[in-house]
Amino acid sequence: MSKAMICSCEDVTVDDIRHAVSRGFCDVESVKRYTGFGTGICQGKSCSAAVAALLEKEKALKPAAVVPFTPRPPLYPTELRLLASAPVDESQPPVGGLPQDVDAFPAALRPEGPVPAKAKVVIIGGGIMGLALAYNLARAGETDVVVLERGYLCAGASGRNGGGVRMQWGTPSLVELAKRSIDLMKGFARELGINVWLRQGGYIFLAKTKPVAQRLERNVSLHNRFGVPTRLITPDEARGIVPGLTMKDCLVASYNPEDGVIFPWPFLWGYAQGCQKRGVRVETYTDVTGFETSGGQVRKVKTTRGDIACDTVVLAAGAWSPQVAKLLDVKLPNEPHRHEILSTEPLKPFLTPLVSVLDSGLYFSQSMRGEIVGGMGDAKEPAGLNMGSTLRFVSRFAQALMEQLPAVGHVKVLRQWAGCYDVTPDNNPILGRTPGLDNLLQMSGFVGHGFMMAPAVAERMAQWMATGESDELFTRFNLRRYSDAAGHSRDFGSGTLEREDMVIG
Amino acid sequence: MRRLPDVPPRGRAITVDLEGESLPAIEGEPVACSLIAAGEPMLARSIKYHRPRGPYCFAGACSHCLMRVDGVPNVYACRTPAREGMKLERQNAYPSAKVDIFESIDWFFPKGMDHHEMFAGVPVAEQVMAKVARQLAGLGLLPRTPAPVTAPARTVRTRVAVVGGGAAGLAAARVLTERDVGFLLIERDDALGGRLANGAPEAGGPSLDDVHRISPSSVLTRATALGLYDDEAGRFLAVGTWEADAPRLVKVYSERFLLTPGGHPPTLPFENNDLPGVYAGRAASLLLRRYDVAPQTAALVGWGAELHALANLLQERGTKVVAVVDLRDSPPPGAHATAVRGGEPKAHGLRGVSAFSYTREGGGREKVSCDAVLVSVPVSPSFELARQGGAKVPFDAQRGLFVVETDADGRTHAPDVYAAGDVTGGGTAKDAAAAGRRAAQALVGGLS
Repeated sequence: MSKAMICSCEDVTVDDIRHAVSRGFCDVESVKRYTGFGTGICQGKSCSAAVAALLEKEKALKPAAVVPFTPRPPLYPTELRLLASAPVDESQPPVGGLPQDVDAFPAALRPEGPVPAKAKVVIIGGGIMGLALAYNLARAGETDVVVLERGYLCAGASGRNGGGVRMQWGTPSLVELAKRSIDLMKGFARELGINVWLRQGGYIFLAKTKPVAQRLERNVSLHNRFGVPTRLITPDEARGIVPGLTMKDCLVASYNPEDGVIFPWPFLWGYAQGCQKRGVRVETYTDVTGFETSGGQVRKVKTTRGDIACDTVVLAAGAWSPQVAKLLDVKLPNEPHRHEILSTEPLKPFLTPLVSVLDSGLYFSQSMRGEIVGGMGDAKEPAGLNMGSTLRFVSRFAQALMEQLPAVGHVKVLRQWAGCYDVTPDNNPILGRTPGLDNLLQMSGFVGHGFMMAPAVAERMAQWMATGESDELFTRFNLRRYSDAAGHSRDFGSGTLEREDMVIG
Repeated sequence: MRRLPDVPPRGRAITVDLEGESLPAIEGEPVACSLIAAGEPMLARSIKYHRPRGPYCFAGACSHCLMRVDGVPNVYACRTPAREGMKLERQNAYPSAKVDIFESIDWFFPKGMDHHEMFAGVPVAEQVMAKVARQLAGLGLLPRTPAPVTAPARTVRTRVAVVGGGAAGLAAARVLTERDVGFLLIERDDALGGRLANGAPEAGGPSLDDVHRISPSSVLTRATALGLYDDEAGRFLAVGTWEADAPRLVKVYSERFLLTPGGHPPTLPFENNDLPGVYAGRAASLLLRRYDVAPQTAALVGWGAELHALANLLQERGTKVVAVVDLRDSPPPGAHATAVRGGEPKAHGLRGVSAFSYTREGGGREKVSCDAVLVSVPVSPSFELARQGGAKVPFDAQRGLFVVETDADGRTHAPDVYAAGDVTGGGTAKDAAAAGRRAAQALVGGLS
């Protein structure tokens, strides 16, 4: 069959690019994500220029808006065993990371024309939180909503995570929310017309130390209470589920066969399209520059494309939330922490569950496309909005992965990237009203697991906003919990609040 | 493709094993070259539509030649030296690459597919599709055995790291040698020269003599720059090398990075541009000049001086050139007799190229029989390292390429990153050499 290939690694045709443009995906980063061009073995070496030339020629983009997608190391497919050979000084904190200006978007990408002059609700942040909330508000009848996103859809953590979704949490709230989210994910394609490729292959958490083993043991009864079929398994049982797993130094594992992995990007597109169909405006490449407040209320949101007068503002900017809140003199306790991740060459299915060593923060799974997608936390990572990539990460990851799965030594890494966890002192989110600014609602602080919580959290939040009925979620996780009556910060080490301890990394 | 007659072999005659069949090869040449010369241009099936694929770029920069080699999946056959008895398997085909039942996918989706919307929300179909898609996805199988552990990474410190030993990099290395500035030249190929050694010769272009003026201790060949990184000790290149036939990682810390990596052979979108027998122009000149392998009958398409130089080179060495289609300009003086300006190129054939057609300027469709279609267009700058280092990479709409922005002396937006040659948008090898010299002179001036 005659076809004109533009990206032959992923079998993307010229017609596929045109189709993406017809669906509203015009900038290079978005076209890459929608069509998959440049995500294969060559990482865009042979196709980038051809796609860019087509977008420019067919006027999908102005010439100044044609910028390459961020090139990610390694430049050529590189075996994990080679990367594992780099020395890592664990006593040193990670520094740097390249490239540095991952989130600098040229002004030429900004849509022409102003944003609406007023709206009932302005949601800051077009990640999964903001978009899911906007969609749920629209479904409840509130369509006078504007979502502001500083980059393309998927530019932030929602487009950078590993796609794991699990019910294995350490606190009842999160178990319940995750369970509901996964139910909503199952029906997502039916409701929003886009596949999200949920694959319930389970999650296996490995414990190398006593305290972690105890944590896993404790969770089983909690999970079972909510109908989550988590069970403890022996190293041999784990090896039965993942052939080739060494279980080196592992004491025990916990396994929930109903956890799984999804493909993150279509969630954002699906919610955004669902919003737009109902009249909600989703404004990409639009920055928030300031606010107008009076009488304990936010009156206006100022953007690079004009001001929006509004009744309610929702701050759902993930790791960027403290930066935006600062414009309002609101101090959020969140801190951004880089988390690095990588993806390998695609292989035929060999790994069913997502596996995580909770002690070291290693996790890995196999995506629907066949790639090993995995990351590893770094306890020494300093706070900061940093999305650069390091050799230190790929080396640590390769060493840790090969320890548990030696057969992957020849498997080649295709790209590494980074996103930011939005870390709070108790590893729990910040939701609900802001003390002193009554119409500013918080929806951030999800510490790297916001993606899997979003469908359920957004459903509850839209319900709470639309009806005004009380919901304990928005009092339990209110910003007030971080300070005492006198306004002083509280110490979370002291156990005054329940801390989530099932965070990877 | 065939080996040129009356040319002495460049190495020992050996045999390799392609799915149980013994095929002749020359030891040390890229095994993909051996296979096409042995009449096996189809090396793989593509990831989604199971389209037949053969080597295209011969630069390890596409995916057309990925094979399972001695049990390791997704190995670039175009970068892997032939060894006696090596086992080669084609991937992603059932029951075999020659008769692959999944080829039917290609016919079911004549206009491409949108996997995001396909069967979305359709009860049962959606679940079935997810299961089928998982089984069909992926290229190759996980290796059965653990890989041998590699030696610990080495660290090297130098004043200037030069990436790429082509026209620009060699000229720069010569300046650095003359100025007695310590440097390390990192070359991905097993020999220096880039297009001076592998491209169609350029009238008045620089010679390869500079290679002999460079101390071998300043050169790493078969060394691939994998990324520009930084850590507590500064900025460095991670370089994948081969030492005693085993891979080794080298961290190259440097005060300046002079990036002269050239470019990648780009895809030119036209119908059946992925058929086995369609090669990049620089692949054809490489095969001819380094390995004495060339098409019997070739059609050429593209634009620029290299297109016409390649046509003449092939003609001289005995290939019958049946069409040279310049998509942008009228053929220059001295161009091949068949050269015309034209458009709408198309390759024909079922499992490999059998013909090529195009539209002549002014109308009229022409079709010629051939066993190879050679795509010669300016290379797409390899801007990745420069961009990682902080250089600006604007789109040059005129040329249809992303280029690294530099001043006349090769300075980029990043103070320690210089760039020259094809990576800045290309031109002749002569221009590249001059730019390499200027950049080397400029960066030496800035060193303390």
